[in-house]
Parts: sequence; C-alpha cells; structure tokens
Amino acid sequence: MKVAMLGWEYPPFKAGGLGTHCYGITRGLADKGVAVDFYMPKTKHHTKSDRKNLVIKEVGETEIFPYDRPDDKALAGKFFDAVYRYNDLLVQKVKGKYDLIHCHDWLTMKAGVALKEKTGAPLVVTVHSTEYDRSGWLYPNQWFIDIEREGMQKADRVIAVSEFTKKVIVEKYGIHPDKVSVVYNAVYPIGGGEKKDVILFLGRLTIQKGPEFFLRAAKKVLEYEKDCHFIVAGMGDMLPRLIDQAVDMRIADKVIFTGPLTDEEVKHVYKIANVYVMPSVSEPFGITALEAISAGTPTIVSKTAGVSEAFHNCLRVDFWDTDEMANKIISLLRYDPLHETLVERGKREIELFTWDRVADRTIDVYKGVL
Amino acid sequence: MPSVCLYFEVHQPVRLNRFSVFNIGKNNDSSSTYFNHELNHWIFEKVAKKCYIPTNNLLLNLINEFDGKFRISFSLTGTFVEYCERFMPPLIDSFKSLFATGAVDLIEETYFHSLSGLYDDLDEFEDQIKMHRQMIQRLFNYKPKVFRNTEAIYDNRIAKKIADMGYKGIITEGTEKILGWRSPNYLYKPVNADIKVLMRNYTLSDDIGFRFSARGWPGYPLTADKYARWMSSCEGNLINLFIDYETFGEHQWIETGIFDFLDHLPRETLKRENLDFVTVSEAVSRYEAVGEIDVPWAISWADEDRDVSTWLGNNMQIACFNELKDIGKKLKENGNKDLLHVWRLLQTSDHLYYISTKGAQDGDVHAYFSPYDAPYEGFINYMNILQDLKQKTNQ
Repeated sequence: MKVAMLGWEYPPFKAGGLGTHCYGITRGLADKGVAVDFYMPKTKHHTKSDRKNLVIKEVGETEIFPYDRPDDKALAGKFFDAVYRYNDLLVQKVKGKYDLIHCHDWLTMKAGVALKEKTGAPLVVTVHSTEYDRSGWLYPNQWFIDIEREGMQKADRVIAVSEFTKKVIVEKYGIHPDKVSVVYNAVYPIGGGEKKDVILFLGRLTIQKGPEFFLRAAKKVLEYEKDCHFIVAGMGDMLPRLIDQAVDMRIADKVIFTGPLTDEEVKHVYKIANVYVMPSVSEPFGITALEAISAGTPTIVSKTAGVSEAFHNCLRVDFWDTDEMANKIISLLRYDPLHETLVERGKREIELFTWDRVADRTIDVYKGVL
Repeated sequence: MPSVCLYFEVHQPVRLNRFSVFNIGKNNDSSSTYFNHELNHWIFEKVAKKCYIPTNNLLLNLINEFDGKFRISFSLTGTFVEYCERFMPPLIDSFKSLFATGAVDLIEETYFHSLSGLYDDLDEFEDQIKMHRQMIQRLFNYKPKVFRNTEAIYDNRIAKKIADMGYKGIITEGTEKILGWRSPNYLYKPVNADIKVLMRNYTLSDDIGFRFSARGWPGYPLTADKYARWMSSCEGNLINLFIDYETFGEHQWIETGIFDFLDHLPRETLKRENLDFVTVSEAVSRYEAVGEIDVPWAISWADEDRDVSTWLGNNMQIACFNELKDIGKKLKENGNKDLLHVWRLLQTSDHLYYISTKGAQDGDVHAYFSPYDAPYEGFINYMNILQDLKQKTNQ
C-alpha cells in the first residue's frame, strides 16, 4: 500500500499536536509496511526520515507560522496566501501512483480534494481540530469552516481524534456519523525526572488553550500554598495580556513565562513539573496531556478535551471552574498518595497509547476505502 | 436435605457533600457541611419506591401465603434505619410487620457498616455492634443471635470477638481461598473460637444478584423453576443465599422480571421435597459444624478478590483509613460527642469503596455505585473532609 500524506509541519519544525501526530503516524505506518510519502512545506530545517519506506518531500517554501490566529489583517492575508500557494503547489507536485491520499486539517484539505479529483485515489482526512475549537467557540471564521466542510464532504472517510470531535463533525459540519472513525492519539514516552514544586501550563497561548484560567487558579493556589511556582510555557497572541494579568493579580513573582522552548526544554519542564494543567476551552484531543503523564506528571485536564474521554488516570475539571482547578492542584501538592497513584497508574495506562496502535487503527480505515 | 437460608443486606450510606480544600477550617457545623442531606434524601426515596416498599410488601404476602414456611433474614444497618426514621417511618413499621410474622430473623452488624473490625483495637468495633444491638432491641425487642460483619469481612480475630460477645453464628463468604475443596453448603467452625460460620454460596447468590439480567450468561433467563431445580440438586445441609436487598428493583430493575422471580421462588422451592427455608438462627441451631476454617487474613464477599482490597487496595484508601483511625484515637481521648458521631458516619465503608481503582468488571460495579466521576474525586473529597475533622479534633 502506498499513501501520499499531505501535512503542514513535522519535527523539528512543529507548532503543536499536528506535527507530533504526523511524526508518530508516518513512522508507525512505515513500520507496518505501508509506504508513505509525506509532503510538507519546505523549511530551513531539512526534515529527514529515519524509516526506509517513509520519504519526506518538502514542497516550495513558506514562512508563516501555521497556528497563530491571523488576527492581524495584513498578516492574515499573507497567511492565507501561503496556505493557498502551498495547496496549489501540492496539486502540481504530488505525482506518481498512490493508492490513497491522506490529509490533515483545513491546511491541506483543498489539495487533498483536488488530488482526489485528479487521480481518482480515495481521500482520507484527519481532523485534529476544527475552526470551532481554534476560535474557542467565540467567533469562528466562515472561511475556514467552508474549507473544512468541503474537505470532509468530499473525503471517503474522516478520522476524528476523539468522540468529542466526531460529534462536532457530525453536528456542525453535517457529516454522516458512519463516515467518521475515531482514532485516539498516542505518545512517545518521555520518562520521569526529579520533581520540583512547579505547576505547568504548556501550549499555545491562545483563547482555545485557556491559559487565563490557569492563572486564575494559580492565584487561588498561592493563597494556600505559598512556596510553589507556576510555569506558562509556549507562545501565542495572548502572551502580553497574560503577563498583564499576572501583574494585576500580584502573582508575577510566582509565574514564569518561558517564551518559545526547544524540544529538549519542553521535555525538561515536563520532567520537573509536579502537576500539569491543560485547561483548554476546546481541545479535540490534547497530546500534551499524554506527554506530561508519560513524564510522570499527574495531569488535570479540561472535561472538554478529547483525552479526558480516552484516558482514565487523570483529573478532570470544567475549564471555567478555577476553584475546582485550584482544589485539585492543592490536593495533588498536599496528598502524596493521590500524586503517587496518578503517576503509577498513569504510566501503566500510557503504555496503551502507542503509535503502533494508531497505525493499526489508521490502516483499518484505509482498508475500508480501498 | 438442604435448607435454603435467604438473607438480605439492607444498607444506605450517608453520602458526602462536595468539600474542597477551601472549605477546610471554615465552618463549625460538620453535619451540614460534610453530608449531602438533599442527595441522600432523594436517593433514599428513590430506592424506597423502587425496592424497599414493593419488596417488603411482596415478602409479607409470600410469608402469609405459605403460612410461615417461607422464611427469611435481614440485616438493617444503622444508617439505613436512621434514614427510615427521618424520611419514611412507615417503612420501619413494614419491617416490624415482617418481623411479627415469626418467619423473619434479624442479623447483627456494626451500626455504621464500617471497617472497624480491621482496626488495631476492637473496642470501636464492639461499640458499634452494641449500638446496633440497642437499635434492634429498641425497634424489634429482639436480640440477634447471628452476626454479619460489613460486606462479610471475616478473619480469626473477628470470629473470636463475636464468639466472645455471645453470638451463635457468623456469616462470611464461601470462598475457595478458605474452603479449598470443601462445600459452602455446611456450617464450619473457626480454629480459634466456639461459633458456627455460615458460608455464602456465592455462585447461587450472584446468579440472582449479578447475573440475573445478563443476556450473555448461559443461565439467562433465570426462572424460579430453574433456580429451584439447581438448589434441589445441591449437596449439603444449607444453601446460604446472601444478597443485597437493593437487588430487587434497584440493581435489577422491575423490567428484568426480578419481582416475578421472587414471587415464584417460595412456591417452586417448596415444591421440591428435599428443600425448605430456614432463618439464620434456625440454621445454626439445626445443623452442626462439619469442619474448621482458618482465616488469618481478612476475607469478604466483595469483588473477584474476595478480600479487603475493595476498601484498602491502594495507597489513597490506606491513607484515608489511617487518617480516620488516628482521628478516632484523638476523639476518644478528648471525648467530643458530636464529633464522635460525625466520625462514625465517616467510617461507613462506602466512602473507601468509592476510592477503589480496580479495573475491569469490578471497576464497572464500583462506578455504578459511586457518586463520583472517578476514584480520585472520591479521594480528594473524603480526604479534605477528614482534614477538616482532624483540625476540629485538635482544637
């Protein structure tokens, strides 16, 4: 079986779960004997494959960071242009005989649809997030929604990263539920380290990820547990506002904003963190929760995250319920047996979340359209 | 000729309020802040309508119909009786009517359905048994002869204590762990005490309690006729069927046909010439122990493990259990009566049951009964309350 997979990012160039997913799924598929040509925009990193039947094909050039919401009108225009250009290039450059085309999110859906029409090969699209998620359900942009809807309608099969996302796909995009398969994400385990009194947020600093709720919970925790520190790791359009918020709440001395982190630095903060919080307003899956748990860090996830339906040994909160978030953080700091049990059982459960399993499920989906 | 000893455990725990770390040390009224009276009231009324009232009525009719040949036993926990007295006094009268038929026996247990039988000293255990004894005395003017510990938790030490307190019989699980090749359908005697032990026939008991409505089970659908046939072909003196009372109408809904099953059970059983019914007291006076059992480590009728791992299987449960014991020691030293009662309500084993992290089938059963989304939630809530009580105790 030979698959043309259309992606946007791939380690070391990545901004979020999409890159992590593509890295895991392509290698997992390659290990199972599926030949994968992975297409992505050209970057300065010269991405390489470490598997024989996985070829990374960089296409053209693009400079725009994929995930920043294009609030800025001028930048937005450039960003859309870049995506269009990349999709046009894909349609020209994807050549050869493929059994199947597999694309990820709105960023490559136009090319996926065009290639299906051009080559007649079946199309599978994976939805890692929808415009509703990225906008935190506040002001979804119709432009994205239209691309997403067309891609899902024309696809032969849609993969959703959670039941939660499947529900959005069915209810908001009108796709028949029988056409949508749920395949949960996986993680390459990071391994534990020496813990410090540090509570971690890690993710893009956008409305979707709920960093302001993390800070509100931090304020409450600090009234009771004065010796701990909070790390806000990652970049995003909300950074200046979050710094102001920390200053206003008089907790700026207890909150560390890391700015952008390298892969090694990300692993390090996971390892030293005592608690990881993912307060996303809307989170189709949330691979970072699995990463934290694999680093031996008990994790509090928002009930509206896909991972919370798939993973048992974590704590759940409503993202807006910062009292309960603080209650759980303090409980984790105070009650060692709770902390230990979550670490121990979390590590055991995480062993079920392998890319090998994701590859198996994905091949099942492929077989269904071939 | 095996006698059928049908016994029901009737229990409702006093469920807890949501209690966060921010509530610790904030309010002096423990009862209203710890316990969710509204939820408890609601659940009690729901279960009473679905189970207690209709099942009591059915049993009373059956006893009258078979002229006392249909005989049963109950254990009513103290927390259950408190609910009745508070929210539904006629339900107590209904149990009194059942008892007045002479075909109903009552079983002793710890008032709070607690794990006090596992504490280092058995003084609290004894206190709670005496409280239960007083309650039964007050309501039924009766002194039970047979004891059943919380969820049939049993070991040599408990057996000795119960024998010393004058009981004639004690109930536990008929698990192979203890019996080996031997049948549960006989009475046994502990190696270290003079008392008869009734062993629960878990296969036949769970056929009703757990498997009754399981379509994948080869015995499905279970009819009274089929069940009586199974019992009739049993070897031994005694078939001990010990079942949660809530099986009728609550765990097994009315739609499953559970009430029809119960309705036909006496007739089908008494049709068989080799079967009759006995109460627990009659069982221990009619039959002799056929062998000894040695139980150094506690067993119970809970989960597949049949031990105490249901309540003390992980570090979170053990931490709460230890905290609870430590608070008790302090409370008994400084003798605050109100806090003592609150502490005892917190000893009800259900609070630890909700913190179990067991997987697979047992986990599903735990989740069914738990008011929490996850064991971790149960731990945080319960531990926060224990911390508050500890502060109050130390004041």
